[in-house]
Amino acid sequence: MSDRGRERSEFLAESAEILETLGRDLLVLDEGRGGELDPELLNGIFRGAHSLKGLAGMFGEDRLATLAHAAEDLLDHLRLGKVEASDPVVDSLVEVVDVLQALLAEASREETTGALGSRATGLAARLRGLTQATAPAQVDLLDQLDLDPATRKVFTEYEEHRLRENLRKGMSLYRVRAEFDLSDFDVGLAKLNGQLKPLGEVISTLPSQRPGDETGIAFDLIYGTRRPERELLAALEGTPATAERLGRLEPAALAPEPPAAPVGKTPKKPRRAKGAKPLPPAPAVSNVTALPSSNGAAPARADSEASLRSLTETVRVDIRRLDSLMNAVGELLLIKGNLQRLAESAGHSSAIGPSRAWSQELTRESRALERKLEEVQEGLLGARMVPLGQVFEKLARLVRRLARDAGKELELVLSGGEVELDKLIVEELSDPLMHTIRNAIDHGIEAPEVREAQGKPRKGRISLRAVQRGNRVLLEVSDDGAGINEERVREVAVQRGLLTADEARELPTREAQNLIFTPGFSTARSISELSGRGVGLDVVKTNIASLSGLIDVHSERGNGTTFEITLPVTLAIVRALVVGAEGRTYAIPLSGVLEILSLSASEVRTVERRELLPVRGRTLPLVRLAPLFGHGPGTTGPLFALVLGLAQERIALVVDQLHGQQDIVVKPLGGRLSHIRGISGATDLGNRQTVLVLDVGALIEDSVAPEWKAEAL
Amino acid sequence: MSRFAEQLERFFYDPQEALPPGLELPEPRVQPSARQAPPDERLCFRLENEWYALPVSLVREVSRVAPLTEVPRAPASLLGVMNLRGEVLPVYDLKLRLRLATRPAPIAGPRADRTGLPRSARVIILRSPRGDAAVLVDAVQDVVRLMPAEVEPPPRGTAERDGIVGLGRRGDRLWILLDPEAVLG
Repeated sequence: MSDRGRERSEFLAESAEILETLGRDLLVLDEGRGGELDPELLNGIFRGAHSLKGLAGMFGEDRLATLAHAAEDLLDHLRLGKVEASDPVVDSLVEVVDVLQALLAEASREETTGALGSRATGLAARLRGLTQATAPAQVDLLDQLDLDPATRKVFTEYEEHRLRENLRKGMSLYRVRAEFDLSDFDVGLAKLNGQLKPLGEVISTLPSQRPGDETGIAFDLIYGTRRPERELLAALEGTPATAERLGRLEPAALAPEPPAAPVGKTPKKPRRAKGAKPLPPAPAVSNVTALPSSNGAAPARADSEASLRSLTETVRVDIRRLDSLMNAVGELLLIKGNLQRLAESAGHSSAIGPSRAWSQELTRESRALERKLEEVQEGLLGARMVPLGQVFEKLARLVRRLARDAGKELELVLSGGEVELDKLIVEELSDPLMHTIRNAIDHGIEAPEVREAQGKPRKGRISLRAVQRGNRVLLEVSDDGAGINEERVREVAVQRGLLTADEARELPTREAQNLIFTPGFSTARSISELSGRGVGLDVVKTNIASLSGLIDVHSERGNGTTFEITLPVTLAIVRALVVGAEGRTYAIPLSGVLEILSLSASEVRTVERRELLPVRGRTLPLVRLAPLFGHGPGTTGPLFALVLGLAQERIALVVDQLHGQQDIVVKPLGGRLSHIRGISGATDLGNRQTVLVLDVGALIEDSVAPEWKAEAL
Repeated sequence: MSRFAEQLERFFYDPQEALPPGLELPEPRVQPSARQAPPDERLCFRLENEWYALPVSLVREVSRVAPLTEVPRAPASLLGVMNLRGEVLPVYDLKLRLRLATRPAPIAGPRADRTGLPRSARVIILRSPRGDAAVLVDAVQDVVRLMPAEVEPPPRGTAERDGIVGLGRRGDRLWILLDPEAVLG
């Protein structure tokens, strides 16, 4: 890749990262609508917009830069209290993230569409309009504060605003004085901040006018809190700090409370006039001059520094590099296996003492190697993992918009965002989850009036829950809506010619509900804007299946629907069941194996010569692996039936040997053999034996739709 | 690096090789531009009693015949897949492709019988835009550098034998020149 290309892809990745954070923070802001704004949160959002503006400007992405700039201005006004966090303001900010994301996507494809351009321009204009709608001027509360004008002059606009806010909310304001040793004042200051922050807000940190001793330096922290004074004093115990309350000069002069600390002198020097300050001895000079910048407690001043540094301490790595490392580790594990075998055979074959000791040592060393390799493998797998929360946030934004558009009221409950999955899976997951949720909004949740009439709360509820279960993650999308109309499903199945009327009548509930995954199946009588997009649950099923996942649906009429999606944690290393058929060995990803049964011939039924196996009330198509792959008729010895599942389909696969389980790295068969149905790749089991890995999805599909198979072979 | 690298190097074009010493050949009746065309470097190998040659530029390496794993539902000419230092490569039976045999060599699967495989048998791994692949041959001989004058069009009647692009002839040696893409199919 050229330097420019690399820089550009860095820019795209960094911007995407900033946008992700922006989206997350705005979501918090959105949820806290009407309540108190968290100044730190607002500052974070402001900084994000600021960085994005800079980055986009640098790379000539003018549309991105302009919109980010407009958002930055509005956010600046918002954090300075010049604009209120009204619904239109928050709505536009939420929309900004969506539009920025769309712009970024176009930028990554190096294209520019007019529709998006005009949407961005319109939004930017709206933001500017909101920015100009300045909040009404208020009596300046700051004038009431017993603070001398020289100190007031050094406050930044932002700090002044925060002071006013604190006053308006009736917080008590303190000047917290603390003296630290010059050698580690930054540590002490950070610790003090840490103690103060939980109780209130550190509005500004100023160098104290009262000079410290020879090796010390003192600070005044302007601090606002709602807590009683004794709590503050208790918090300061053990620190070198003292607190003094700042009085108010209210006209109806309630006598200001007496200062808690004896020294209450008014400061005389502005803090940035460092030359005028009595300086500590020479070695400390550099520390003092460096002061304003190490003064990180004031967020407004931190801006310029934050934008110079990278926002996160992460390294972006192409996932293909991780893949090739993972392959290398797989090879190393095989070599280790060979070493272990050598060590063992050396131990068996020689009766001579020294040689046995040598073999033991070799065994020990190869065990140590094994442990380390496992660590490396785990580390590599960990590096691929990202929290599901990334997808959840995108979905949360979308749900708000969709619900608004569909005229439905609903709340989205998220849990398990911290559950981690392979990056590739998480990327592929957003589409199917989105469609499932869309489906719930469109077909599940009823209109508010309908819900009220049924005695349900007006607001519908969609919950998205993730739980890790060993090597799998269970995702549940459930709603408290109308549930699947099973009768209607049967009706449609007959209309579409999928079933005869008799078949439809006899179909068990479970299978009837699963009909909704059939391509082109939709029971919605009115085509809404959402379903008009032509995406059905069949696509969801296909997407999930391509991730080696399962999807299932449970529904109760009137009480709602739950979709259960089970996914493997990673696709890089797969736990596999190693089986044999007519002397050939195959590996089957365990994520697709639901059950292993011992098969007796008398259990097998046939319908029109197709073999079926009843398993716990469900009749599954029976597929014998040996004849399926042309390895002969299959042995007559003991047989095993593996219940394979993908999405909601199940089949029973018959093999004649079970060799055990093993972690495998699946390698692709390459372009020439990729078309072979039923084989997804190959792996090495360690004895120089290459073993093919079965494609559970294809096997299931072929046996469920046998006409396809007849065509292909 | 292939174990054959040195061997191959030794067989690289020697200016003396093209013209037997002391023998004046008439000026070849070819266009001047064609005369300047680079010589065709080919790896020679044996199938049964016939000699074949593939372009050296497309040969990745030559390897011993590793254990093969059968692939179900694949064309008959696919003997199986081999593991070359972690990479899974398909191995094709050239004899079946060139109709020198009617059934694939029985060297993969549980009933594999490698006794029919000569000790000199090798697989040649070929680079290909559709995915690298290997072909099984009875023996690998050397690399020849064929001048345009030494190359003839394929003889009549062999046209139906896929992948034959010409004949190389030098003295009493004869090579059947193959197009790897066509051979791999």
